[in-house]
Amino acid sequence: MSLIEIKDLKVHYPIRGGFWNRVVDNVKAVDGVTFNIEAGETYGLVGESGSGKSTTAKAIIGLEKATSGSVMYKGKDVTKGENRRKLDYNHDVQMIFQDSLSSLNPRKRIEDVIAEPLRNFEHLDKEQEKLRVLQLLDIVGLDADALYKYPHQFSGGQRQRIGVARAVATHPKLIIADEPVSALDLSVQAQVLNFMKKIQRQFGISYLFISHDLGVVRHMCKNIAIMTRGRIVEVGTRDDIYNNPMHIYTKRLLAAIPETNVNHRDEHRKHRLEIEKIYQEQQSTYYDKDGMAFPLVKVSPTHSVALPPHLAKEFEQQSENEGVNV
Amino acid sequence: MKRDIEDATSISAEDLGKLTKEAAAEATPSRARIMWGEFKADKPAMVSLFVLIFFILFVIIASLFINTPKMIQTNLMGYYAKPFTPEYWLGADSGGRSIAKELIVGSRNSISIAIGLTIISSTFGICWGLVSGYFGGMVDLAMQRVYDFMMIIPMLMTIIVIVTIIPHYNAITLTLILSIFYWMGTSRLIRSRTLAESQKDYVAASKTSGTSNLKIIFREIMPNISSLIIVDTTLSFAENIGVETGLSFLGFGLPMGTPSLGTLIANANDPENITGYWWTWLPAALEIIILCLSISYVGQVMRRATNAAQRRGNEKN
Repeated sequence: MSLIEIKDLKVHYPIRGGFWNRVVDNVKAVDGVTFNIEAGETYGLVGESGSGKSTTAKAIIGLEKATSGSVMYKGKDVTKGENRRKLDYNHDVQMIFQDSLSSLNPRKRIEDVIAEPLRNFEHLDKEQEKLRVLQLLDIVGLDADALYKYPHQFSGGQRQRIGVARAVATHPKLIIADEPVSALDLSVQAQVLNFMKKIQRQFGISYLFISHDLGVVRHMCKNIAIMTRGRIVEVGTRDDIYNNPMHIYTKRLLAAIPETNVNHRDEHRKHRLEIEKIYQEQQSTYYDKDGMAFPLVKVSPTHSVALPPHLAKEFEQQSENEGVNV
Repeated sequence: MKRDIEDATSISAEDLGKLTKEAAAEATPSRARIMWGEFKADKPAMVSLFVLIFFILFVIIASLFINTPKMIQTNLMGYYAKPFTPEYWLGADSGGRSIAKELIVGSRNSISIAIGLTIISSTFGICWGLVSGYFGGMVDLAMQRVYDFMMIIPMLMTIIVIVTIIPHYNAITLTLILSIFYWMGTSRLIRSRTLAESQKDYVAASKTSGTSNLKIIFREIMPNISSLIIVDTTLSFAENIGVETGLSFLGFGLPMGTPSLGTLIANANDPENITGYWWTWLPAALEIIILCLSISYVGQVMRRATNAAQRRGNEKN
């Protein structure tokens, strides 16, 4: 059984208008997202800004109300507040935020910041609590003199590590990392990422890793889902996505990774333009008339793609012939 | 493969004392120290602070030694007595009452009412604004309609009517009556900042850490708008001295026979007093000006102390 199962999750925001302030339309921020996260793995959620990946994360952790669909944890639907309280859900599921500065209360000392989840869930006495905070600071590679300082006295990388220390304080099973390194410069990115991996090995934590940086995702994640316009367009292992992308959006995303090898600059540029041309030509066939992606079709046991109907039919027939269970 | 936090670090219980000491040496100075440093850097504010503290203590203690009923009795012998005489330091009014004594007791009354009014109305306004801004949605809608209703009531007129129809009232009931009408400005100000503040990530982080709503409101958001609260409270204290004084000046403040700064200034209603007997109203007027100026100086320093970018003081001393 998976650690957490997200099924047909939808988050719609009503648009109000007209004379009586009625709901005239919905913004479909997340529209039917389904995936599972296994214990101890890192699941990557990739997409452009505005594709709904952060909203998905917030709905999973309970910061955003889900319109419909379910998030099953320990057999209970945690989109409902009372189930979250009953399970002590936030003891097991924590979050790392993108903006390390605004996610730490500027008026609280680091000790109080890291101790916050401990105070809510663990009820340690003062000495034990301080010891635990010092140990957590040690794990994330900060000195003890950080204890009584304020967040603004640290660099971005240090702050993000404080955020990680807070997230691991209660020994969670899943940490939702919402673009944890996109606000950091490259050297610090590697530092924080390696450190997240180290903690994962030590504590057996699962991550839901949200990013728009495909290089980072390749480094971190075993399974990856590509999201656009509130829907998942391609799901697969790292290998499936990077070596055999099938949806045009994924192809375009991969072609956009900057290449540092100057010798192949022209080739790379040609490849990118080619993909872009295909994208412009075929865009209409890969999305339905409302501009939404099609339902996912299984193309291999690990790989599913939101293919247009005519291609999807081909694959269905093919898999029937081969006797693969769809 | 799950291991505990203890296994991943070399820090154990023995190191606690040593590390705590290390951390304390590097600690950022506390709020009180920062504020004191700020006062040191701003001499006028320092003077204002001492004037305020000294004056408030003086009027409270001195008024204990004054026999108020005897003081407000008419004494024909002292009819408009000149100031700076041994018996009448600041002269006397048309009833032969000592202005100096009236000033002391009146200041105590006016300042206590202003302090009480500020504490009650600001506390209520801050809570109202915080709750309304944090929860938003229907809660905000309902609470803001109550606010709107209170705003459209003609304040001064309603207070005058209430004061007239209540048969027995004293300083405490007057403070309560005034408090009903003076929380709205604060609440709106606090609400607008809370709306912005509650969208920030640290509030979301607190929610995911399992902190309750009440704790988030008062322990997370409130410290972050403390600069606004301090400035608003000091300024409304200055304003509230004026509220009671103004009412008393109009004759609807404290009941007859209770001196206040307002009744003293009301002496200036009489043209004869303005031209001939300046000592009946000038001391009270000067006192109000000095008090309000001092308060606003102190308020400015407090605002600077809560905003690191505006500080002038050296934090290390």
